[in-house]
Amino acid sequence: MKKKLWNPIFGGIMIGIAMLLTFFISGRGLGASGAMTDFAVWLQNFVAPSVNQSSKYFSKYVANGANPLDDYLIYMAIGILIGSFLAGLVSKRLKFEVLKGPNISNKGRLWFALAGGIFVGYAARMARGCTSGQALVGGAELSVGAWAFMFSIFAGGFAVAYFVRRQWI
Amino acid sequence: MIGPLVSNGIISGSVNSLFAVLIGLLFGYALQRSGFTDSRKIAETFYMKDVHVPIVMFTAITTASIGLWGLSLLGLMDISKMYFLPSYLLPMIVAGFIFGIGMAVGGFCPGTSLAAMVTGKIDAIVFIIGVFLGSLLFGDQYMLWEKFYNSDSNGVWRLDQLLNINLGLAVLLITLLAVFGSFGMKKLQNKFWGKND
Repeated sequence: MKKKLWNPIFGGIMIGIAMLLTFFISGRGLGASGAMTDFAVWLQNFVAPSVNQSSKYFSKYVANGANPLDDYLIYMAIGILIGSFLAGLVSKRLKFEVLKGPNISNKGRLWFALAGGIFVGYAARMARGCTSGQALVGGAELSVGAWAFMFSIFAGGFAVAYFVRRQWI
Repeated sequence: MIGPLVSNGIISGSVNSLFAVLIGLLFGYALQRSGFTDSRKIAETFYMKDVHVPIVMFTAITTASIGLWGLSLLGLMDISKMYFLPSYLLPMIVAGFIFGIGMAVGGFCPGTSLAAMVTGKIDAIVFIIGVFLGSLLFGDQYMLWEKFYNSDSNGVWRLDQLLNINLGLAVLLITLLAVFGSFGMKKLQNKFWGKND
């Protein structure tokens, strides 16, 4: 049987401790989207290396033959993947499935997932971070920009929720 | 032992990378056990149908904030050696709005999609492909955004400076916001959707 989820307060404290550990040990915050961009730029290096070299945005990832995967956040992403897999294993929640509301097909849900991912990837680069690296970390650092980013995320989500309700409720 | 350990030379860069894996492990474990690998749970935030995601977020921020500024107060953390995120206010507001649209449409954010992928969620795998495409697209269109991206730059800018209050008071205020916000959101959830958990 599936194990019950953690109480949200307990889960929040655990994630808060993970953040505090990055501050105390590494003098910086945790993050996720940075590693995903590293990986995408690394992939792009196989397909179109000239794009990385000539791009004003990507060239810093590969400057002087640097490997985009040699990054703190890549190590952290490896940890996230292992940690979540272990948690899924012990709570008996490992399963190949597409999660969605009752009123949409699997195929429809996957198109929405792709579109949402493109928006999120685009916006995370514009914001210099995502919900983890910008909103949570900046939130704890009391950063004005991060708090504005977080409330803006909720505003964007609530603004579009009605139009995608078929997918979820 | 005063933090940050790596900046103070107490641990080496490679040990720091090892710690990154271990901290990521805790982060990923907590994301999964809090239910963040289920896109429905994340999206239901935007219908107030399940407010556990923002409650976890506010609790995490408060915990880390009390810890960071508390350690600094106790002299156990040298914040002058820490990297703080700079504020680019307007670009972050605009990006946040687009990001929020993406979350309600896609059902994940980057960290939760990574955690969900390894528990077999196929929608997370597709979402991740989208994130790759989106971040490469931003890089390709960077020239269009460059001026805006670097605009409204305020450096490291904290809430206590914005409100012109004591730093400790600012931490207390976000703690109160987290506590009352969590109770308030739970009340709204129960009002709109009934007590279902």
